[in-house]
Amino acid sequence: MEKSENRDFFSMDRRTFLKVVGAIGASAFLGIHSSKITKALELSKTKIIWIHGAECTGCSSSLLNGGNPDLSQAIDKLSVDLAFHETLLAQQGIFVDGSPASTSELNSEILLDEAIEEGNYILVVEGSIANGPDGSGKYCMYGERTFKEIFEKAATNATAIMAVGMCAAYGGVNSADSDIKDITDFRGVAYLNEDSSKGMLSILGIDKPVINIAGCPAHPDWVLLTLAAVILGKIDINNLDAVLDTYGRPVVFFPTDNSMHDNCPRRGYYDRGILDDDLSGEGCLLKVGCKGPYTRSDCGLRRWNGSVSMCTQAGSPCISCCEPGFPDVASPFYEMIEDKPLAYGMNVGTMSTIGVGVAAAGVAAHAARRIVFDKYAEDRKRKEEE
Amino acid sequence: MTRVVVDPLTRIEGHLRVSTEVNANGEITDAQSSGMLFRGMERILVNRDPRDASRFTQRVCGICPTAQGMASVNALDDLYEVADQIPKDALVTRNIIQSINTMASHATHIYVLWGPDLVNPAYRDLLATVEGTGSVVWKELLSRFAPISYKLNGESITPGTAYINAIKEKKNLEEAMAVIGGKMPHQMATVTGGVTYRPNLADIGTLTGHYYKLMDFVNSSTLGVNAQTWLDNTYRASSPQKAVNFLLEHLQNLVDKSLSSNDFSFSAGWGDLELLSAFGSELIGEKTLGLPASLKIDKTGGYAEDANIGFLTYGAFYDVENGDGYDPVGFGQSAFQQAAFINSSFEKKAFDHKYVTEETSHGFYSSDDALHPYDGVTEPLTTASEITYEGGSDSRYSWIKAPRYNGTPCEVGPISRLIAMEEPLTMGMMQVFADNGYSAVNSFTRMVAKAQELLILAEQFLKWVTVDLDPNGKYFVNPDLDNAKDSKGIGLWEAPRGALGHWVKAGSDLKITNYQMVVPTTWNCSPRDANGVAGPLEQALIGTKISAAENALGVDNTNPTGILHTARSFDPCIACAVHTIDLTDKARTSRTFNIV
Repeated sequence: MEKSENRDFFSMDRRTFLKVVGAIGASAFLGIHSSKITKALELSKTKIIWIHGAECTGCSSSLLNGGNPDLSQAIDKLSVDLAFHETLLAQQGIFVDGSPASTSELNSEILLDEAIEEGNYILVVEGSIANGPDGSGKYCMYGERTFKEIFEKAATNATAIMAVGMCAAYGGVNSADSDIKDITDFRGVAYLNEDSSKGMLSILGIDKPVINIAGCPAHPDWVLLTLAAVILGKIDINNLDAVLDTYGRPVVFFPTDNSMHDNCPRRGYYDRGILDDDLSGEGCLLKVGCKGPYTRSDCGLRRWNGSVSMCTQAGSPCISCCEPGFPDVASPFYEMIEDKPLAYGMNVGTMSTIGVGVAAAGVAAHAARRIVFDKYAEDRKRKEEE
Repeated sequence: MTRVVVDPLTRIEGHLRVSTEVNANGEITDAQSSGMLFRGMERILVNRDPRDASRFTQRVCGICPTAQGMASVNALDDLYEVADQIPKDALVTRNIIQSINTMASHATHIYVLWGPDLVNPAYRDLLATVEGTGSVVWKELLSRFAPISYKLNGESITPGTAYINAIKEKKNLEEAMAVIGGKMPHQMATVTGGVTYRPNLADIGTLTGHYYKLMDFVNSSTLGVNAQTWLDNTYRASSPQKAVNFLLEHLQNLVDKSLSSNDFSFSAGWGDLELLSAFGSELIGEKTLGLPASLKIDKTGGYAEDANIGFLTYGAFYDVENGDGYDPVGFGQSAFQQAAFINSSFEKKAFDHKYVTEETSHGFYSSDDALHPYDGVTEPLTTASEITYEGGSDSRYSWIKAPRYNGTPCEVGPISRLIAMEEPLTMGMMQVFADNGYSAVNSFTRMVAKAQELLILAEQFLKWVTVDLDPNGKYFVNPDLDNAKDSKGIGLWEAPRGALGHWVKAGSDLKITNYQMVVPTTWNCSPRDANGVAGPLEQALIGTKISAAENALGVDNTNPTGILHTARSFDPCIACAVHTIDLTDKARTSRTFNIV
């Protein structure tokens, strides 16, 4: 325990990190660092402004499920000032004859503007940002302005930005392939799917440090631990490349060299070649569409909702909800990836031409996976060279 | 006339704008409800493998994803012609996870989203005028219902105990959900053909444990009497009159004890529901129990006597006594919560989904007329300057469509379901309110019905888990995917906040050609229709007062509690509501639209 206090949590290798944080839980992690937090508390609080765009509020709901610590403990222990959050705070927007009424204690729009004006906050974005129609952003509005305007104002004054969940990070389901995708034109904060040149920040010409917390929804540990690391200075927001992968995700939660499949609770069945053909069985779910081998997340170790379970444990194939191209990279969800012509930006035919069959399916998956992982490694290398 | 706009209406899911006209007496004379987001999920589903729909549609709403997933699998079971074979234990499991979702959503709504309005500073000022009791009650309200990051006059207020405990309770329930669904939000278990997970004996124990945790919360916060006693005397009362008498006698006993001691704490028997019933309602608190003041929430969110309004439920929770299989269209007749249409005179009629229509005359569409969706095409405005929320009741002002049942706008949600069930406490309370010149359905009765439904479902959840679930049963039948060819499916269900329907069609390539969702908030927060008839929320605002307790401290347009209580009592979910919108380009006008 004492030893771990001196370790920089986000620069730990994955194994150590999991030992320190994954195994003992985030509340213990916070406990270890409590003296430092107390020190920070004497100085000031860390202000969080949390804004909602085109989303389902699932990431906020997930945040409320945080157990290690829970949200109120985190606010207390980390000395966080949750200055703005539409779903949780008392205020609402009030306009009388077109003018904002009352004060920031009652009016959320005044509260938001004042908090942005003061600056010095971490901006959390949940939901993607509508750019349509025609760059106006009018497909998502509130408080008599577009969310695009709100985002621009809030991003400009932010110290750093956390894009929480797939919609905010990469566009998510809003940006899934369809014939209206170009009209609605939803953007992630810094990315559109896998493309970092098409995020809303690029459109607006704003340059800010951005951390992407993937997941649909984001796991509360991923959100709260990253927040903790930023607040404690365990992440240097001016040197994020050291701790983030090529898609802006913290490597400790979304390991580059490792997939969900490696720690899947059903892994033993896979190793023994027990691959289910139908749902509701106990075996490996590869043949019913599991995308675990292509998905970088620590779900298998961390699990969900107080570590009760996770998707594959509950018999569902992984749908790759942490990968930037979600949902299209994994859809159709209940078909083996080998049956898709294109996956994860690559031609599956070149990934593997091996046909069906129990053992063969496993081999095919590994062949495909190697190619996906090689692609990530190349991307990262290229990024580093730039 | 003053224009009072609440935008955004926070503490709901998504972005809702409520715009009102208020006269010099502080009475709301006109109202528009506007959904502020266009997302287009239904079009995203076109050309996909239908089985993906139950994962995609959950992403419509992170508060009630399970209900979306359930409506979706019902539609898919129908599409793949497998509904009549779904194993009984899969149906039980689906009932279990939906009941968990509804309970968690209700607890979150009551305490985290709606409850904080009880500590609006207007009530501090109102209660300050009542010597003795007033300040005690205010402190009681504050210590229970204050939200996170709450400030009054610059002073930080500690979050209320009930508020914090409700968040823990929501977490507890979602852990129960994860036992079956893997994770929550966006559980993974609901698939066409059944469920992916086979609960084992240990899971039954775990789920039972979660029930007892829930009861600990109820018995230490929500209710001052034992939950079992409460349900025996209300839900199981032999008549609505007896159920109401139990409530009133129970409250009278508490008042008799507490008025002299000025103790309204939980230990004096005042659960959250008792406190709300006595001090939230003018009729119960002031006129019946003789309390010196109340928040008069029963005077908000009601309908005019001649209102053009109905109450609708599609039915929820399969009848699992009948073994395998269900009828996607007719299941609501034998469901635990039955399908029904109830008219404004509270006459119950059989529900027929064919009467459900939608139109967009006041939505942001370029179509000129209100079209029946069966033949209709809808094209959202794509010119930015045409998207404006300032045009008033005659204009296009929302992304939400206007659904109607046989032409009637309908309120959906817990109170509609409990009316359909003829739940004694709900029916009795509504009768008492109607007899005394109040709207039978108002913000107060709406919230009490929600709490009552949570208690009823908790008990039912335990039955499904401990009596009906067989760990050795069957949980999945593999649907024949070829059955989707040129097929269609209907999925009727109830989300926590009301009637939810999905309609799916697939083409010869077995992929989705059309997917339509008609969701609860589309009903409740509907804009006007082509006849100019306002939606339920709009109707519930018009004619009521803008500020606290019937403008008791004068008209204060800058703190429009009337709008806040009423709009939030409908538990709006805007992300859901605006997904009904779809764009149909000219090339696709040959597509057939289902009745929605």
